[in-house]
Amino acid sequence: MIDFIQMIVSGIAVGSSYALMGLAMVIIYKTSEVPNFAQGEMALISSFFAMMLLTTLNISVYLAFFLALVFAVLLGCFLEFAILRRAKNPNILGFIIITIGIEMVIVGLVSWKFGAEQKTMPFPIGPYDSFIFGDIFISKLEVLTLVAAMLLMGVLFSFFKYSKLGLAMKATQQNSTAAKIVGIRTNRIMMVTWGISSLVGAVAGLLLSPVIMQPYMMWDPMLKGFAAAVMGGMTSLPGAVVAAYMLGIIENLFGGYISLEFKSVVAFAIIVIVLCFKPSGLFARHYVKKV
Amino acid sequence: MMKKVLTTLFISLGFFLGISSGLMAQEGVTDTEIHIGQWGPQSGPAAPWGSVARGSGDYFKWINENGGIHGRKIVYHMFDDGYNPAKTKAGVKELQEGTGIFAWVGGVGTSSGLAVREYLMDKKVPWVGPSTGSLAWVSPPYKYLFGVYPLYFSEAKTLVKYAVETMDKKRVAVIYLNDEYGKNGLRGAMEQLAVHNMELVAEVPVEKSDTDMKPHVMKLRKSEADMVLLWVTPDAAVRIVGTAKAMQFTPQFMSTSTLSDFALMSHISKGLWEGVICATFGELTDGDDPGMAQYKQEVFEKYASREERFSLFYTAGIMFAEPLIEGLKNTGRDLTTERFVTEMEKIKDFKGIGSLVSYKPYDADDIYSRQGARHTFLVECLADGKTKKLTGWMRMD
Repeated sequence: MIDFIQMIVSGIAVGSSYALMGLAMVIIYKTSEVPNFAQGEMALISSFFAMMLLTTLNISVYLAFFLALVFAVLLGCFLEFAILRRAKNPNILGFIIITIGIEMVIVGLVSWKFGAEQKTMPFPIGPYDSFIFGDIFISKLEVLTLVAAMLLMGVLFSFFKYSKLGLAMKATQQNSTAAKIVGIRTNRIMMVTWGISSLVGAVAGLLLSPVIMQPYMMWDPMLKGFAAAVMGGMTSLPGAVVAAYMLGIIENLFGGYISLEFKSVVAFAIIVIVLCFKPSGLFARHYVKKV
Repeated sequence: MMKKVLTTLFISLGFFLGISSGLMAQEGVTDTEIHIGQWGPQSGPAAPWGSVARGSGDYFKWINENGGIHGRKIVYHMFDDGYNPAKTKAGVKELQEGTGIFAWVGGVGTSSGLAVREYLMDKKVPWVGPSTGSLAWVSPPYKYLFGVYPLYFSEAKTLVKYAVETMDKKRVAVIYLNDEYGKNGLRGAMEQLAVHNMELVAEVPVEKSDTDMKPHVMKLRKSEADMVLLWVTPDAAVRIVGTAKAMQFTPQFMSTSTLSDFALMSHISKGLWEGVICATFGELTDGDDPGMAQYKQEVFEKYASREERFSLFYTAGIMFAEPLIEGLKNTGRDLTTERFVTEMEKIKDFKGIGSLVSYKPYDADDIYSRQGARHTFLVECLADGKTKKLTGWMRMD
């Protein structure tokens, strides 16, 4: 029984980073219907930016993280403005290819600038400092990630539901031409969306960095976040978060009771099953073509 | 008519000379040059091991500056395969058939090496010192392939023997990467335990993509192992040791030479690597070996880039190339593949910065006719990534 509870707790803990990446992907998808495969690497370069500030300027970790988040917002806006907006009438596939291109360029840039050797981010909470309840443990960093994921989900959910800008983002996704007619500057909306999405991804990256940093560190969380987003319906923020925690728990239970060899791929098997039986995802309200 | 006859004669002569010179010339060798090749990941997930190929390159520069080998300079061809066997194969074929390579040295990655092993052996091209300790290079032995890296299989046996006999450990578990590398370690551990009439209390596989090690460590904890042998990547090893600490599971961790770069491991684990015992394949970079000190001063400080670290893997690049240079020197000016192989077979108890290296005339039933290194020593990681030698060089079974 202790093992079972530990697996559930561990699943929730690991699901938090998937949730943050899933949220970041959903935000862009909600406005542009583009799955952004550069999401992980945008978080990567923001995390390495924080690392660079810490090592070269010797500033406090909180200031470095804050500046990295500002950098992430600017990076997202820049990529939308300088690259995606310049594409001439691309279809969805074209956009996807562009995001894959951006992903490759950023990985190359980070490898060249910071080297391939593993590093670790100085952080006030040690990556393995834990809360222990009897025989059950959960790492403090993972609790922090969980709180961040919940907080961001709540803020984003309210933002999309109640704020003017959030509603404008929704309108842009549903009918871009109509949104323009009613005076929404859809280009600017897209740019802001990329900025916000980049910020959410960067939070995930920064909270993973105290464990190990290397140029490929965001690939797995990005894929799992994408899996969670698809499972949750791609447009639903709470859906992506709930699916991310489900994925984390299923992975842990599968690894603990069935097979450790196939633990990592179980997420993708679940996507296939979900898409077969409920193509709109588990939490989307209506059918939309996803992938 | 006369013109036609002369043209035909010249063309025939040209063909004859071309073919005969091709038959006579040794591929990859000219009057002034010897062409040596190596692949190594300079990008991609295995890029931290890219320093192996750079170390060999700097070593060859030093050899050239000190007069080369019997009047010839080494021309070194290194390419980035990104740890992708398809790229390794394409790159090796391109260099072998385009430029012409006399011999290959090093080469990170068991899968990458396996992708070109048959090709190189079929073409009878010597390959010295694959940069992994897999049994795949020497079991069965290949006439043109000379192993320098001590076998993972033997390292695992030595570590388990030390744990059981010297540290009195009773419950041994293995956590291993689910590939050729990890399975070599697992096999060695099982074989050594059988000698002591013991069995593994847990064998836990790790996939390359696994980042969450909690389920793995839970299995280890459940087994109540008092010694856990780690045969995984550096990232996974750090996560395992960290997660174990968080779960208050504190066995003796022991590991392979690939994780014995204590400066790096201590840094990325934020000090948690302290107390881990590893086998190692070469003299310590911060030790008192005169050969290592000489390479640091004359190779590393002179040729390495500013970002390079005088690390275990950088020096491994030199270590894998040392027997190749010894073989080339012994062959003399009349350099052919067969003469080189014969001279390599005569190498006995060669000591560079690695284990003693000895080969024998080719024997299809004796892996030690081609597995040169049979010695290791054990080290323990201290605080701040410092190294404590636990044993001297030991011959492995």
